[in-house]
Amino acid sequence: MKSAGPCFFACFAVSFLIACSYTSVDVERGRELTQQYQCGSCHVIPGVNAANGRVAVTLASFGLRSYIAGHVPSTDENLISWIVDPAAMVPGTLMPSMGVTAGDARLIAAYLRQLH
Amino acid sequence: MTVSPAPGELPSSLPRPAGELEQLERAWRPAAGWRYFSRVNNTQIGLLYVATAMVFFVLAGVLALIMRTQLAVPDNTLVSPQLYNQLFTMHGTVMMFLFAIPVVEAIAVYMLPNMLGARDMPFPRLGAYAYWAYAFGGTAFFITIFFRVAPDGGWFMYPPLTSQYSAGPGADWYLLGIGFIEISAIAGAIELIIGVLFTRAPGMTLGKMPIFAWAMLITALMIIFAFPAVIAGTTLLELERSLDWPFFIAERGGDPILWQHLFWFFGHPEVYIIFLPAAGLVTMMISTLARTPLVGYRAIVLALLATGFFGFAVWAHHMFTAGLGVLETMLVSAASFAVSVPAAIQIFSWLATLWQGRLRITGAALFLLGFLFTFVLGGLTGVMVAVLPFDWQVHDTYFVVAHLHYVLIGGMVFPVFAALYHWSPLVNGHVLSERLARWVFGLMFVGFNVAFFPMHISGVLGMPRRVYTYSAGLGLDGPNMVSTVGAFMLAAGVALFVFDALRTWFRAETENSNPWQASTLEWAGNEEYGVRSIPEIDSRDPLWTRASLVEEIEAGQHWLPGTTSGRRETLMTSPRAARPRHLLILTGDSWWPITAAAGTAGFFLLLTVKMVLPAFVCGVIAMVAIIVWLWETDPTPRTPTVNAADNRPRLRVGGVGVQTHSWWAMVILVIVDATICASFAFAHVHVSLMSDVCPPSGSRLPSLWFDLVSIAGSIVAALAMEAARRWDIGRDSTLSRVGLCAVIAAALLSSLLAFAFNAWGHLDAGLEPKANAWSATIMTLVSFQGLHVIVVALMAAYLVGRLISGRLRPNARATLDNTVLFWQYTAVQGVLTIAAIQMLPRLIG
Amino acid sequence: MLRPATPSAEITLEIAIVLTIGAVAIFVGVMWLLLRALQQRERRPVTAWKWLIGGGVVFPVVVLSALLAYSTARTIQLLPAQDGLVIEVSGVQWWWEVRYRDPATGREVRSANEVRVPAGRPVTLGLTTADVIHSFWIPALGGKMDMIPGRVNQLRVQVTQPGVHRGVCAEFCGDQHAKMALHVVAMVPAQFDAWLAAQAAPASAPSSALAQLGQRVFGEQRCSVCHSVRGIAEALQLGPDLTHVASRLYLGAGELPTRSDNFRHWVANVQHIKPGARMPAYDHLDEQALTALAAFLDGLK
Repeated sequence: MKSAGPCFFACFAVSFLIACSYTSVDVERGRELTQQYQCGSCHVIPGVNAANGRVAVTLASFGLRSYIAGHVPSTDENLISWIVDPAAMVPGTLMPSMGVTAGDARLIAAYLRQLH
Repeated sequence: MTVSPAPGELPSSLPRPAGELEQLERAWRPAAGWRYFSRVNNTQIGLLYVATAMVFFVLAGVLALIMRTQLAVPDNTLVSPQLYNQLFTMHGTVMMFLFAIPVVEAIAVYMLPNMLGARDMPFPRLGAYAYWAYAFGGTAFFITIFFRVAPDGGWFMYPPLTSQYSAGPGADWYLLGIGFIEISAIAGAIELIIGVLFTRAPGMTLGKMPIFAWAMLITALMIIFAFPAVIAGTTLLELERSLDWPFFIAERGGDPILWQHLFWFFGHPEVYIIFLPAAGLVTMMISTLARTPLVGYRAIVLALLATGFFGFAVWAHHMFTAGLGVLETMLVSAASFAVSVPAAIQIFSWLATLWQGRLRITGAALFLLGFLFTFVLGGLTGVMVAVLPFDWQVHDTYFVVAHLHYVLIGGMVFPVFAALYHWSPLVNGHVLSERLARWVFGLMFVGFNVAFFPMHISGVLGMPRRVYTYSAGLGLDGPNMVSTVGAFMLAAGVALFVFDALRTWFRAETENSNPWQASTLEWAGNEEYGVRSIPEIDSRDPLWTRASLVEEIEAGQHWLPGTTSGRRETLMTSPRAARPRHLLILTGDSWWPITAAAGTAGFFLLLTVKMVLPAFVCGVIAMVAIIVWLWETDPTPRTPTVNAADNRPRLRVGGVGVQTHSWWAMVILVIVDATICASFAFAHVHVSLMSDVCPPSGSRLPSLWFDLVSIAGSIVAALAMEAARRWDIGRDSTLSRVGLCAVIAAALLSSLLAFAFNAWGHLDAGLEPKANAWSATIMTLVSFQGLHVIVVALMAAYLVGRLISGRLRPNARATLDNTVLFWQYTAVQGVLTIAAIQMLPRLIG
Repeated sequence: MLRPATPSAEITLEIAIVLTIGAVAIFVGVMWLLLRALQQRERRPVTAWKWLIGGGVVFPVVVLSALLAYSTARTIQLLPAQDGLVIEVSGVQWWWEVRYRDPATGREVRSANEVRVPAGRPVTLGLTTADVIHSFWIPALGGKMDMIPGRVNQLRVQVTQPGVHRGVCAEFCGDQHAKMALHVVAMVPAQFDAWLAAQAAPASAPSSALAQLGQRVFGEQRCSVCHSVRGIAEALQLGPDLTHVASRLYLGAGELPTRSDNFRHWVANVQHIKPGARMPAYDHLDEQALTALAAFLDGLK
């Protein structure tokens, strides 16, 4: 009885300390932006709420893919350019330009890259 | 066997033999030092359980204080909306699942055996397992808030918000987190039912047992029938989230309302599960503190039964705005009115008892008065929300938040605090400070009303529930600020109590002098072994009707003044008249329960973070621990009878057949199992009725031939196990044992084939659970049956092991009897689910 | 609830008053009994059945039966029989899509966050959801009705007088449940018809140079991908229809009054006003672009 109390509180203290350094800020911002730009209206995207769209390809395991839209090699630069203006990279693509700024696209790309 | 002694002839004679008391103490001595964690005695586990529940109460309360601070002023930005949603979800979930149910179960674990005159709960290791599973699971669940992955869908987690629209792991933590509580609660319920029905003091008929015992018996029965619905619901939600089986997805034939039915069928009885034990405690304290026998014992028992029963009829009053049929809704509204009549009976019984007696104002009494004030007010707002048009306005507003806190804090928290004050001497003989009690009560009572009364007003002014902020200028500023002030007052009262409790209960032990002159057996001795000897009683208030009873008990003049085997023992008595039937040998301290609990916890928690291999290692550890623990059960008695009381006939050691406590535990487990299956079947019926065409287009039923062969297989298995049950296991020949093994093997083969054909039939019909809800519910039923067949296979192997090692005897055959019961249930379940699946589309037409 | 604007809301208020008076009376009575019980100095015998049967059974059964009769009668009166003008309202995380039918052409007219109805006429609201469970609640008009995936729930209202009434979402629906408000505007029937005709028309072209610049910004920033402006640009319709946004009383689902500076504030700072809303913030735009955009939107009357 005497040791149970301190034990519990020790557990909580330790976990609180661990919790402080948990998620990368960029990836989290990227996830929020993905929600705000409603990417999920067309794509299934793991970790993003309301991302159930079946209109376009699923983005699950996007981080493992070598190509964007089957055409463009998946480098960081290409991904950012693609998000900002898809039609410029693949003319005739159905994905609209959503008005994403370069800065926002960088963060979204960071989120998509870590989807495994 | 007669119970009432001839005048003067007590069960055991004096003088007691030398060393008898020491032997008793030795058998019950708790493990010391680091072996602390292997303790199983209800006294230690009970205290740990109460303490853990109170820790969760404080933690969930802190979450509420953060919420109240955020809501103190409009448009506040102290807490982000995402964090606030996690806070209110965790506050509700922790309070309901990690505090409310556990604390009343914990008080029962701690005190109920003593009230009944038993030495311990009937399954000490199961109780220890239930506690540690709760402790590990609850702690892991709570710390998710520090990692910002706590669930954020509200404590009743409506899909599709919590399935397709909650991408993070929060909802999974919820579903697996409360899985532990489900296990804990069911284990607790089994113990309570068996304990109340079978381990009472001789002469303590059902009509003489303490009201708390009735309350816990009815509560345990409610748990048995209510929890399976939420077990089924959470299973379905987790399957939808992880495997995309669309139970609640409308586009594929599912229905979010299905979740609401399953959840609230549990959720409403849940609040009575929380309230009835508290009402039982209140009844006993009022009688003691008013120093008069209870007025209306039978009326209260009937009221408790009526509440327990009718509590299952009104779940849909949580769904009045969902657009269900008007006629059904009106019937539920009328039933919700009716359910308040039993509560009124109890209230008038308490008032009459207070009128008849003279209440002594102790700390506990203050909380009882606070309870009456608060619970009556909450009950009246409950009748108000049972009126449909009124509910259509105030549903999902702060009016309901006010109502639920009035009935839960008033109806359970105040009684629990009263109980902590009242029964404090059982812990270490000391009473809590009466002086501080007035401050604690004052702060808590005034703080509570200041916090929650204004919520009636903000609700009526239009403030919805679960909002992280509100706009200025809507008239909500004042009530919210007042509520916040009240919340901090309430917290101050709790803090003061915690200070006093820690200060008092860590003091050195002293004699428990029964300071309130209570009348029931828990005051007759609270050593590790409970009472020195188990008394024969003949009244509801034994300590009042026989002044010399306590002395007699301590001198060892009643049943079992020592230990006949050197081990822990208690009496098994008959359910109605409590006639002694046999001696129950209880297990001592053991490492297996905590190991199994850690393994179980590890299995579920590691699966949630998708660490599959470590999860399975934990699962294996848990299973090994459980099997070793089981192996020690069902022992062959060393002697067939013992002398448990000099002046009474010798007592048989251990029961046989339907007389064993493990048989009845298995019966209860089978009922729980059947109710889970019925819940899955309800899901299937619900989605079938909702679809235009059944089976839905693209799906079809299995061909009848597969299912007929499967049914035949199940019947053969059931018959084979019946033959096993009737086998003459007294015949000690190798041929006989080989024969029995062959019968068991044949039964197993039949069960496996039965399942294989059923599964083959569905595969042949192209069953795809992701396609639509109809297929998903069928796959669930089939998988549930498959799970049972796996369990049956393990039981068969275990049973053969017992047989071969010579541990299966005519007077130690519980393993066989219990296995047969479960096996036959599995066969019946298989047949009925096949029949239901095949017949339903034909019946719907 | 305290300012009823429909017959059914008035009935509900009456019920609420009756319930409150009854509850207070019973509460006071029981507490008085309790006080009397505590005041006694010496023990008194108690006639058990008077308390248990009289107080515990007869009293509640009588009161509850009366309450049941009264509430059933009033509830039946409250259920409106007439169907009326059909307006579809769909809950979306975290705003309201409102759809009328243009009587002239039969075509659908989309709007958002504000439901206009003709006063004195019956209206049937068809309630659906685009995603999770929401609940439509205008306290002044009556009770709430949930919006459940896979179902169309109906709420019939008849607003007595012209006026504006605020409502909220009453079923927890995610991050911004707290800021999902809406307004019902009841108008004189002739004015309602004129209003509906105006709503059915496409957007008016921008009048000033600033507004024309704003329209260019609207296109460049790809706002039209989510927000339709009929006659100018329509695409995915993921967000509220803005064709006549300036004719509505509030922006952002009841969050800000409609004014040019609030358009600017919303567009630039949406994630500060309503964190988690499914719209990115445009604070990276320069002063001129934001002012022009606000002027354009303010012209969409």
